[in-house]
Amino acid sequence: MNGTTATIGRDVGRILEALGGLMIVSIVVPLVWGEWFGVLAFGVSALVPLAVGYGLHRRFAEADSPSRLHGMVVAATGWLFVGVFGSVPFLLVAWGVHLGLPTGLEGTPTLSAFRDPLNAVFESMSGFTGTGLTMTDNEEVLPRTLQWWRTFSEWIGGVGVIVLTTAILARPGSGSLTLYESEARSEKIHPSIVSTVRTIWWIFILFTFVSILALFAAGMPIWGAINHAMTGLATGGFSITDNSIATYDSALIDAVLIPIMLLGSIAFPVHYLILQGDLRNIYEDLQTRWVFIYMSLGSALLWAFLYVGPYDSPLSALRYGGFQFVSAATCTGFQTAVDATNVALGAWPAQAQLLVAFGMFVGGAAGSTVGGIKLIRGLTLIKGIRYQIGDVFYPDSAVRRLDIDDRRLTEAEANREFVEAAIIAVLWTTFLVVGTVLLLVILPAEEFSLANAFFEVASAQGNVGLSSGITGPESLPTLGKISFLGHMWIGRLEIIPVLVAARTLLSRGGMYQ
Amino acid sequence: MKLSALPFVSAVLESGADDRIYDGLLLTGPVVILLIAVLETTRTRFLSGVAKALAIAYVTAFVAYVLYRGVRGE
Repeated sequence: MNGTTATIGRDVGRILEALGGLMIVSIVVPLVWGEWFGVLAFGVSALVPLAVGYGLHRRFAEADSPSRLHGMVVAATGWLFVGVFGSVPFLLVAWGVHLGLPTGLEGTPTLSAFRDPLNAVFESMSGFTGTGLTMTDNEEVLPRTLQWWRTFSEWIGGVGVIVLTTAILARPGSGSLTLYESEARSEKIHPSIVSTVRTIWWIFILFTFVSILALFAAGMPIWGAINHAMTGLATGGFSITDNSIATYDSALIDAVLIPIMLLGSIAFPVHYLILQGDLRNIYEDLQTRWVFIYMSLGSALLWAFLYVGPYDSPLSALRYGGFQFVSAATCTGFQTAVDATNVALGAWPAQAQLLVAFGMFVGGAAGSTVGGIKLIRGLTLIKGIRYQIGDVFYPDSAVRRLDIDDRRLTEAEANREFVEAAIIAVLWTTFLVVGTVLLLVILPAEEFSLANAFFEVASAQGNVGLSSGITGPESLPTLGKISFLGHMWIGRLEIIPVLVAARTLLSRGGMYQ
Repeated sequence: MKLSALPFVSAVLESGADDRIYDGLLLTGPVVILLIAVLETTRTRFLSGVAKALAIAYVTAFVAYVLYRGVRGE
């Protein structure tokens, strides 16, 4: 067995052990709700990743620390396995009810959709990647066990399974940093990576408590408040109600959720500084400042599109437009625009849908829980393009600098950062276009428009979860589900680690030389 | 026996915020949520009001402390 396989095997094993631990912890929920079959489902589900993880971890205990290549392959394969193994509770509960075992749970069409392994893996991957697209028709009728597992997977996935593993194992050294950076993170709060991830977790847990209690104070029942606070802060967007947040039809709850989603879209190092008393970071940090500017401008433009469109009242256009833009741009995916209370997103004018899709494309701050290409890359691209065009107006001997945030970059540094941002943006756009074309080919042409398909793929790849009505156990063809699994996966890891893992695999299999 | 000597409490204090108030909010958060859940099951108006007051007090304490640190820090 060579060194690469050993290193990857050991670290993937640790991730699987952490996943098993999450399932064990989750047993508390079915116990509290008296869903004893849920206890069994979590217990059995935990055995698989624990056994595989422990075996890999033990077998390769002496493996070398991961290099950058290893880190990327670990992140890509680890997230894929987490998605696959995380589907087991859905499968067990659905099949248990279907086979007539004494589960004490009610059989519903929503639950029976999870008998299909593809639907179960889809739900799990959607949860862990913080996407929020769902294979359920009516979340309300799901057992509490599965409602919790969907919520918990998004909450953990929002911060990252590798961040969790690093915090638990507390393995010092460069190996942890390499893995941390492979999970689309680079910001450090403290010099030590273990301290950094622990700080990230206490901030996240504290914000979760505050969010739960704020939602409860706003009038949401406590079980709904727990679930929606966790998925809102993690910018995941799974709901436990059939019509997402529209079910509550409360402007106050909408208003409380907006700052919760915004908290999730701000980088953890900035949260840390703000909690330490340095409030100036709200406007001095480039990304945080732009989170507010971008959300305000997008909401205002969407309000204008909606006011001259489907809504007759400026207040309704503001309430639904503002919420939906923030929900999209923070990559949360909570929905208040549904036919039951107002006008469904899929029925909004094409320009409004495309603006929301643009919000999903860009996302929030790097170092937070959001998807998309991230604001800092968008800003680097804009500044970089201006810099490149401006170059023509200076003599060749001129020494130029590019200022991004508080950093003054040399020409070589500026070019490197610009190229990195451009590569991600180009790859992101390429996968978005390919996914949209594929979806248009496999969907019935009379039912969904180009705007609908583009919106749905942007939602999957941006890990958002808003739907124009395409995603569902029956409405999305099998090929579409597989394609969306890929979009969610690459979107969460910012594409490169998945491509590196694919190349490594093909190269070892002799297919890529 | 000191409260900080309890296993769970010591873990929170060790890897937590290094700040008494934030650590206190971290430790009391689950207790408050659990208490609210229990109060809500009684379905009585008075206890629901108590539950809501607890939630508002917790959120207010957090926001007020962040602002206090912000004002003091500058």
